[in-house]
Amino acid sequence: MNYYEHTFISKEDLPESQKKKIIEKYSEIINNNLGKIIKTQDWGLRTFVYRIKNSKKGFYFHIKLEGEGKTVDELEKAENIDSNILRYLTVKVKKHDLETNYFEKKDYQK
Amino acid sequence: MKKNKRKLLKKTASSYTKLSLFQKPGVKFFKPCPLSGKDAPVVDYKNLRLLKKYISESQRILPSRVTSVSQKKQKELSRAIKRARLLALL
Repeated sequence: MNYYEHTFISKEDLPESQKKKIIEKYSEIINNNLGKIIKTQDWGLRTFVYRIKNSKKGFYFHIKLEGEGKTVDELEKAENIDSNILRYLTVKVKKHDLETNYFEKKDYQK
Repeated sequence: MKKNKRKLLKKTASSYTKLSLFQKPGVKFFKPCPLSGKDAPVVDYKNLRLLKKYISESQRILPSRVTSVSQKKQKELSRAIKRARLLALL
C-alpha cells in the first residue's frame, strides 16, 4: 500500500448541492478500487494565478488516501471524463502529515 | 574574555554580509543552508509562504548561489514550485 495526496479543482459555477456530491462520487471510486480515504480537506474558492480553460476561479478539494497504483488510475480516468473538473494533481508521499493545514478553511474528518 | 570576543566578531560580521575583492585571506563566504538541519521548514507544494521566498518578482525560481540552498534541497524546492504552478497556486 502506498500513500497519495490528491488535489482537484472544480468549476466555479458549481451549485452547493453538487459540491458534496462531487466528494462522495470520488470517494466511492477510491473505496471500490482497493483504496481508503484518510482525510479530506476543502480549501474553498480560490482565484487562479493564470486562467485555466477560460475560468478565473475554482473550488479546491484535497484528499489524503491510501491505496495502490490501480486506485489512482481509476480515479484519474473518471476525472478526465468529468467536465466539471478543470485540473488534478496526484503526489506520492512517504508519510501523511495530518496536523498542518496550509489553507485554513472548512476542515472535516472522514 | 578578549579571545572570546574576537571569535564572536569574526563569525557575525565578516563572512556573512561583506563580499569584496579586498576580503581578508582565510575568510570563507559560507552561509548555511536555510532548509536543511534541525527544525528547518518542510518543503511542500502547499506551503506557499515558504515557496514565495524562493521566487523572483517575475515568478522565476532563484538560483541556489543566491539563496545558498543545498543541492538536495534545491531539487526538492524546484519540484515543489512546479507542482504549485500546475495547480495555479503560484
